[in-house]
Amino acid sequence: MSKQSYFEIFELPARLRIDTVALEKQFYALSRRLHPDRFAARPAAEQEAALAQSSQLNDAYRTLKDPVQRTQYLLALEGVEMEEQSRAATDAARAAGEQKKQIVPPELLEEVFELNMQLAEMRAAKEMGEDEPELRRDLMTAKDAFDAKMVEAQTELESQWEAWDSAADSGDDAGKARAKDAMVALLNRRSYLRNLVRDVNDALGL
Amino acid sequence: MAYSDKVVDHYNNPRNVGTLDKSASEVGTGLVGAPECGDVMRLQIRVNPETNVIEDAKFKTFGCGSAIASSSLATEWVKGKTIDEALAISNTDIVKELALPPVKIHCSVLAEDAIRAAIGDWKKKNSVAETTPVAVAAH
Repeated sequence: MSKQSYFEIFELPARLRIDTVALEKQFYALSRRLHPDRFAARPAAEQEAALAQSSQLNDAYRTLKDPVQRTQYLLALEGVEMEEQSRAATDAARAAGEQKKQIVPPELLEEVFELNMQLAEMRAAKEMGEDEPELRRDLMTAKDAFDAKMVEAQTELESQWEAWDSAADSGDDAGKARAKDAMVALLNRRSYLRNLVRDVNDALGL
Repeated sequence: MAYSDKVVDHYNNPRNVGTLDKSASEVGTGLVGAPECGDVMRLQIRVNPETNVIEDAKFKTFGCGSAIASSSLATEWVKGKTIDEALAISNTDIVKELALPPVKIHCSVLAEDAIRAAIGDWKKKNSVAETTPVAVAAH
């Protein structure tokens, strides 16, 4: 059996805007078909195969249901392993004998570094025992700003889904490549923002 | 996951945390990041223009224990070295010294990137011709 992609399991085209209600329905229908009760009287090999398929179906559903995981999965199908970017850049630079290019644009690194510095200062002040309303207010302001940036990144990501889907529909490879790069950049930005949100919540005791 | 004693030591007592004057001509700044973990690392060096020896190094890293330990160790190692000697530091040296597990090797790569970026920045500021030594390090 050739390995199906998660999209293929659900008989969906590899697109990012998907009907999640239909996805859920399809998931339950397929799950029923693979239910162990239906295989109780079958040979062990068939039971095992159904179990394996069922587990793959669960993975596929969990991945496609979640917008960020879905995007990461599609990018992986397109050859971009988000978790391997740094390593890939290092390998490419070494193979070419060139200085490694940072995968994150300097502006984002500057911004993230600066935000982390501000947050670190607030956290240090808190640890010093300062528990003034002013400090808490600063942290809340920072939290609101990070949350807003997260929402913004999400909105931008969704607009790239649209760009990807329509480029894929019309076979526009250049458009697909543009959307792909933009999605990678947005997911990277999101991963930094997620840490900032986590840290500010932590400082606020949320 | 258990950190090695050396990682814990650098994490609890990071060496050379701080900032050098970014605008000074003898200071090189490297800012690098690994988006996979949301790490961001700044490493700065102050180079003696007569001797090309790195006389001071500072870092600030936001990230996991291994990223902090890797950059802390990197500042210790570059101090007292010439620019060329510092460029010879490879991530595998850091991995060995800190006994980093495979999943944390990218932290050492980031520290190596930071050293190179800082030196690159210093060279650019001082119009030193950019050579690109090819590191032969494994992950």
